[in-house]
Amino acid sequence: MPRELMSIENLSVIYKTDLETVRAVNGVSITLEKGKTLGIVGETGAGKTTLALSLMRLLPKATGRITEGRVILQDQDLYKLSEIEMKSIRGNLVSMIFQDPMTSLNPIMKVGDQIAESLILHNDEKLTKEQISARVEETLTLVGIPPFRKNDYPHQFSGGMKQRVVIAIALACKPQLLIADEPTTALDVTIQAQVLSMMADLKEALDTAMIMITHDIGIVAQICDYVAVMYAGEIIEYGTIQDIFDHSREHHPYTVGLFGSIPDLKHKTRRLSPIDGLMPDPTMLPRGCAFSPRCPKCEPLCKDQKPPDRDNNGHRIRCYFVGGAQ
Amino acid sequence: MGTGEAHNKELVIDEEQTTVKRNGPMKEAWRRLRKSVTAMIGLGILAVFVFLAIFADVIADYETVVISMDGTRMLQRPSLEHLMGTDHLGRDIFARIVHGARVSLTIGLFVTGFAVLIGGFFGASTAYWGGLYDMIIMRICDILLSIPGVLLGLAIIAVLGPSLINLLIALVIANIPIYTRFIRSTVLTIVEQDFIEAARACGTSDLRIIYKHIITNVTGPIIVQATLSIAATILSAAGFSFLGMGIAPPHPEWGAMLADARGYLRTDPHFMIFPGIAIILTALSFNLVGDGLRDALDPRLKT
Amino acid sequence: MTRYVINRIFLLIPIALGVTFIVFTIMNLTPSDPGRIMLGEMADREAVSQLNRELGFYDPFFVRYFNYVAGAVRLDFGVSFRSGRPVFEEIFLRFPNTLNLAFLAVICAAAVGIPLGILSAVKQYSHIDTVSRIISMLFAAAPVFFLGMMGIYIFSLRLQWLPAFGASTWEHFILPVITLSIPSAASLLRLTRSTMLETINQDYIRTARAKGASERRVIFRHALKNALLPIITILGMNFGFLLGGAILIENVFSIPGLGQLLVNSIRLMDIPQVMASTLFLALLFTLIILVVDLMYSFIDPRIKAKYSKIK
Repeated sequence: MPRELMSIENLSVIYKTDLETVRAVNGVSITLEKGKTLGIVGETGAGKTTLALSLMRLLPKATGRITEGRVILQDQDLYKLSEIEMKSIRGNLVSMIFQDPMTSLNPIMKVGDQIAESLILHNDEKLTKEQISARVEETLTLVGIPPFRKNDYPHQFSGGMKQRVVIAIALACKPQLLIADEPTTALDVTIQAQVLSMMADLKEALDTAMIMITHDIGIVAQICDYVAVMYAGEIIEYGTIQDIFDHSREHHPYTVGLFGSIPDLKHKTRRLSPIDGLMPDPTMLPRGCAFSPRCPKCEPLCKDQKPPDRDNNGHRIRCYFVGGAQ
Repeated sequence: MGTGEAHNKELVIDEEQTTVKRNGPMKEAWRRLRKSVTAMIGLGILAVFVFLAIFADVIADYETVVISMDGTRMLQRPSLEHLMGTDHLGRDIFARIVHGARVSLTIGLFVTGFAVLIGGFFGASTAYWGGLYDMIIMRICDILLSIPGVLLGLAIIAVLGPSLINLLIALVIANIPIYTRFIRSTVLTIVEQDFIEAARACGTSDLRIIYKHIITNVTGPIIVQATLSIAATILSAAGFSFLGMGIAPPHPEWGAMLADARGYLRTDPHFMIFPGIAIILTALSFNLVGDGLRDALDPRLKT
Repeated sequence: MTRYVINRIFLLIPIALGVTFIVFTIMNLTPSDPGRIMLGEMADREAVSQLNRELGFYDPFFVRYFNYVAGAVRLDFGVSFRSGRPVFEEIFLRFPNTLNLAFLAVICAAAVGIPLGILSAVKQYSHIDTVSRIISMLFAAAPVFFLGMMGIYIFSLRLQWLPAFGASTWEHFILPVITLSIPSAASLLRLTRSTMLETINQDYIRTARAKGASERRVIFRHALKNALLPIITILGMNFGFLLGGAILIENVFSIPGLGQLLVNSIRLMDIPQVMASTLFLALLFTLIILVVDLMYSFIDPRIKAKYSKIK
């Protein structure tokens, strides 16, 4: 029995405004073990960030709503906790790194104070001021920033350094789970590599589990243990990194398309094969399989009824034509 | 200003989506405006005042009712004959308020219209030419803006003497630097945006860029600003008249009516209440419509 | 930083000159006859033009402007046509009333408008939000002089709680200050609300929430501090707006202040008095904007850094 850290069961999230209802996440179920990394890949608008925010219970209050499902973290049902209990979990047990480091830091607060804030808020060990200050310096060193810069303001840092600060804030309390929402998208390619390898090292050192949200399959290959492919708010394929990257196995047509749209240096192909069409409008999702309008293998059945998950030793694919009968 | 750029990009995408998906931005804005209860209330009040202003002469004759005094019926309380009572010179207050609507709306629209035209010319030309011309005009604006509007207006009226035309001139002059600055910065932010660069890269002609991208994108903010400043203009015009620096008696103007009512506060409160309410409702309606327009024209506020 | 402050103060000089020039130009378009005003309607025409010559009234425009500025540098702004005394005597006599009025009104407006604006933003779409938005909408559309008259009618004439006219005791200031501050408080409320809402939607607020900060902490430590910057600027601008409003309110409540002086001087075509009063108020306004800008740069580390680098 693997040490299970978190499980998401049949989670659905909508955004409701006066004008329309956006079905952002639709019946997502995943589990994550301690110290492992799960990659969630998918196009922009697939519901990845919404999924992450609903794990933290940080959906926009006015519009976002969890309609069904539950999230169990270390045997606690997060949606049954009071807001006060949830607060003690945020930043402590679960931390989040956001996409854009340029805007994720409070511009008028010293970075050291921003890191210290997490420690002060979750001061279970009754640390003194000096100890907290020492921990801040320690954390800064950990992410590769000289400790003396703790008195600087965010505008004095470059983009990559800012993201390191954001990571330092997230890691200050040594969380069990780190949710990283496209942590490197806003960075230069060289900085991306640095930040990623630093994150991989830190995860190893602190034994933190991680959910890595990205649309970059390269990043997934680099650091993930498990991969979930998300499309229109659903997990349409899930498996270990080997399952997903093994070209000899069967895959969901969308996953095939996703991999087809990146260049493969080993094989000679005439051109990339992008997926035709666009993601369906999340206010009017198709009745059947969400991918059916774009799917090359689509049959009348697909348009009519949602396909079930086909499970092959933990490698789940949500499609009628893959992994078994028909 | 990382956030600003990010927002602007979203803004562009959103606009394109709405144009593709729906019936064009103007209809979309109107659809959203109609959803706003407050904006519709504003439009309703406004419609009433516009109606009164247009048909003022039908409702009450100017020469015989509005400005002719009648010593036999001074300071009467509201009744069926005189809906809002009569003033200290025996004139029907309702009739004067109806004709006052004409004056106030004319001032609001005229002043804002001219200020937008002249300020638009200076704003757009400084944004376009830049350089020394831009610098000189902007320094003049800085100086004019460092004099509070009321003071500038009073100084101009002090010179020209109190009358409707002079009041209009004073208000237009006081508003020009505001619009020059506003339109200059609006044009500049749009010119500097990526989609203008993109249009240029696609080989779009300058004229087409100005027409298709700059003018369409500038109109929204200007309409919003203009609507809101009509309210401010009506308020300050009333203030000038109240001080006796605006419209000369016996012409009906709400601020001047309030000034007349000052002497009769204790005995005849109806004399001041109706003109006061008229000013508030008119200014309020323009503010409500302006706010509604701002929300309706801003794609960022969709959710 | 000190260098920046000094620079900014020096920048006041061209603005002051510009303001003087504009006010001077406007004022000298007037077909006025100071000698006639000073000596009265019955005076001999020869004596009037003699006096006009002495006053330099027949000199070319730029000579007169130069003389005026030269005098102003020596703090000599001329004498009132009406009283014959230095214009600033009258200004300093009346200034405390106007300053009290405007200053107290700014404080009242801030004390009411800012907290209600925050509350309205934090409880967006709640009943508190709706009610305070409707009320602020109404009051922002109300002319101060009408509010003043209503105040007099209700609190002085009907209830007889407060005195209505004059400025002899502190009680005389209650009604004027409150009525003057109401439209400002309303617009400040609306501005604070929208600024707070914008700030609350920033990414760093989400970061603070993700840290596990309480809603209180998020609002006061993170959002409010950032939102305060634009609010302070508007507060400064409001001061100018209130100086304008004070002219009307002084008129309603018969307070002997600068505004009343200005209006009376305009009626009497007392040009030196109008010029000096306008100039005084405009420069005061500029000075306030400067102080606000400086405060701003002390609070915001980004701006502070920008100017420290110039050093």
